[in-house]
Amino acid sequence: MKLSRRDLLFGGAGALAGLVLTPVPWKLLSDVSIWTQNFPWIPQPAHGPVDTKFSTCTLCEGGCGLRVRMAAGCPVGVAGVRNHPLTRGALCPLAFAAHQLNWHPRRLREVRHNGRPASWSEAQAAFEKACGEGPIGIVDGRPGRAASTVFTAFTQKHHGSYQSVLSVESQALAPYADWSGLPVSSLGYDLENARTIVSFGAPVLDGWGTPGRFTRLWSEHAGGAADPQLRLIHIDPSFSRTAARAWRWVPICEGSEAQLAAGVARVLLEERLVSAKGPMPRLTLEDAAAQTDLSTEAIRDLAHTMVEHQPVVVIAADGNPSIAALNVLLGAVGAPGGIVRKRADSHPQASAAPAPSSLRALLVDSTVPWEFVTPASTEVFRFAAWDGGGESAGWLLPAPGFQEELTDVPTPSTSAREMYAVAANLVTPPAEIQSATQFLRQIDATLPEVEKVIHARCEEIFHAREGTVYGEHSVDVATVDTAAHLEEQLRQGAVWLGDSPVSAKFRCELKEWPTENRVSQGTSWASTWIPPVFPALATKLYQESTLRELPAWRLA
Amino acid sequence: MKRNILTFGIGMALALSIGWIAFPHVLYVRQQQPLEFRHKTHSEKSGLTQCDSCHVVGADGEFSGIAGVETCAGCHADKVGTTKAEATLVDLYVKPSRQTPWLVYSRQPANVWFSHAIHARRAGLACQDCHGSMGETDQARVYEQDRISGYSRDISGHSMSGLFRAPHDGMKMSDCEDCHHRRNVQVGCLGCHK
Repeated sequence: MKLSRRDLLFGGAGALAGLVLTPVPWKLLSDVSIWTQNFPWIPQPAHGPVDTKFSTCTLCEGGCGLRVRMAAGCPVGVAGVRNHPLTRGALCPLAFAAHQLNWHPRRLREVRHNGRPASWSEAQAAFEKACGEGPIGIVDGRPGRAASTVFTAFTQKHHGSYQSVLSVESQALAPYADWSGLPVSSLGYDLENARTIVSFGAPVLDGWGTPGRFTRLWSEHAGGAADPQLRLIHIDPSFSRTAARAWRWVPICEGSEAQLAAGVARVLLEERLVSAKGPMPRLTLEDAAAQTDLSTEAIRDLAHTMVEHQPVVVIAADGNPSIAALNVLLGAVGAPGGIVRKRADSHPQASAAPAPSSLRALLVDSTVPWEFVTPASTEVFRFAAWDGGGESAGWLLPAPGFQEELTDVPTPSTSAREMYAVAANLVTPPAEIQSATQFLRQIDATLPEVEKVIHARCEEIFHAREGTVYGEHSVDVATVDTAAHLEEQLRQGAVWLGDSPVSAKFRCELKEWPTENRVSQGTSWASTWIPPVFPALATKLYQESTLRELPAWRLA
Repeated sequence: MKRNILTFGIGMALALSIGWIAFPHVLYVRQQQPLEFRHKTHSEKSGLTQCDSCHVVGADGEFSGIAGVETCAGCHADKVGTTKAEATLVDLYVKPSRQTPWLVYSRQPANVWFSHAIHARRAGLACQDCHGSMGETDQARVYEQDRISGYSRDISGHSMSGLFRAPHDGMKMSDCEDCHHRRNVQVGCLGCHK
């Protein structure tokens, strides 16, 4: 029998039809997809003993507790610490994936000068030369750490200037510091005792302050109830994540927060809803209504709602003094549930800031966000673990990444209580990595060591005999037997929390209603820069992930 | 017309026989274990009736996996019989204290975090729920390795069609998810992945 072309076509069609009914295509598809997961260039987690270590996150100033799963001495998973006094198990999505950051394609692994590879010795020689030629500046993104002590010591010895970049949350507290004469770092929000929180654009449910602190509070005391124990009134031009979850959302015109604050203040004073007598804003209620695109009735209703459930505290998205002045009228300054004073202030203060153009060189620590703009006329020594700025001019110096460096975590700016934690170096950094403090100590060996500063801080806490250490079990510092034992606990991931905030009121003198957009404090060239609240991608991940606990009403 | 149907049928039959009979033989490489190990003999003659006699979950939750050669040495420090496997065990592994290179049927990818302690102790699963009647086997099964994915056939399951599968057949992520779903266990990505 001769095979025709038609026979071949029908035979082939039959074979194809039959093939679909076999496991061949489906199994091949499945196996190939698994094979692609095991390409040799994809890093594989190490095999070895698995254990859990506790530490504190250093990705931002929030100071969240971390439970790190280690396999063969390498972090392979990160989760929150349920009994952490501030975050109570919550973490932002960046922290959940932080162990992978050390393998990020943009991880810096070599010194670069003007985009070209260079060496540490060249960078060191250039910095030493700059120190000899003129004043140098050091910018610190997270003041109050042991590293900050090293920076201040260096600038004092070498006639330089130490500058710190204030977080956006700290900048919102600057008006109170300006009016009271207290340092910004000594102030915080007593959110736990507030019953009404009015947020003027501050994304309190979306990455503001210490992640988890307010979201936990909100899910426990509000969580979508019609008349919750804790009311959140969010004033925002757009229907943001916080606006969507708030008890009430007040949409206003973009940039008219100060006018709304003045309108509310006028109602509070005219209708004697508060005990304060002034100062009265110049803006009339009608003008405030026109500028905010709200009706006078809506502003009046907002003012009444604000004082219905006391204590009330107003949170600004930035350092606008008009919004801060509302807290003064409401009696929320120096009162429980409002702006409170922490017991002490250990942050080193920024020195008098010379004009940035007069600086010969500027050392920027890895804690300073990439968006920070450095003066163009100054030679910049930029420390960073990840390249976030492309081919930037100056020196780019690879810094330790996630949990690769022993560092301490001081009180977050929004916290009402003092906090101190130590982030141990769980991972050995690559040989080509150096921190800014190591770099400076190679130039000046007389500078204090970070480890010794941490040790001294632990001794200070131990001798003060105040506060509680939250580790596996919470222990009063007064019952800890030695400073070494306290330090050991902190190095193993415990966190020290000071006693309750100072109950005595502190006064904010306000002679007239503020009309400026900023206050005099925090006007150094480093701190006038407004950092982003939260990276856009992280916010998106946070919104869309299921990592955050749902409020009770959604679980029901 | 009849001829067309016939050629179509021949093509189809050919593809079906290749797909169902020849393909599994080509896809999987068959390998023998380094030693002929009999679970049944160990449970009947040595009184090791419980799986955790050799596969120990420690007090800290760490799972020992396949017993190390030091466990074997407890009974096989010297030859206990005249079989070739016994001689191999003692001469090649026990005396030089060299670990036996067992081929692990249930080896998972490196990015998987699986805790025997959680499944066996907290959830109360029996070993047989995932490993079948491994403890009753009278000879070490042939290890079949997928040429493409590199994993054991026990991971994807022995049933090529996915139909009429034994409850313990398959250890892929979908199998874990199915079991979690049936037992109303909710774990996020990080519950199982490093």
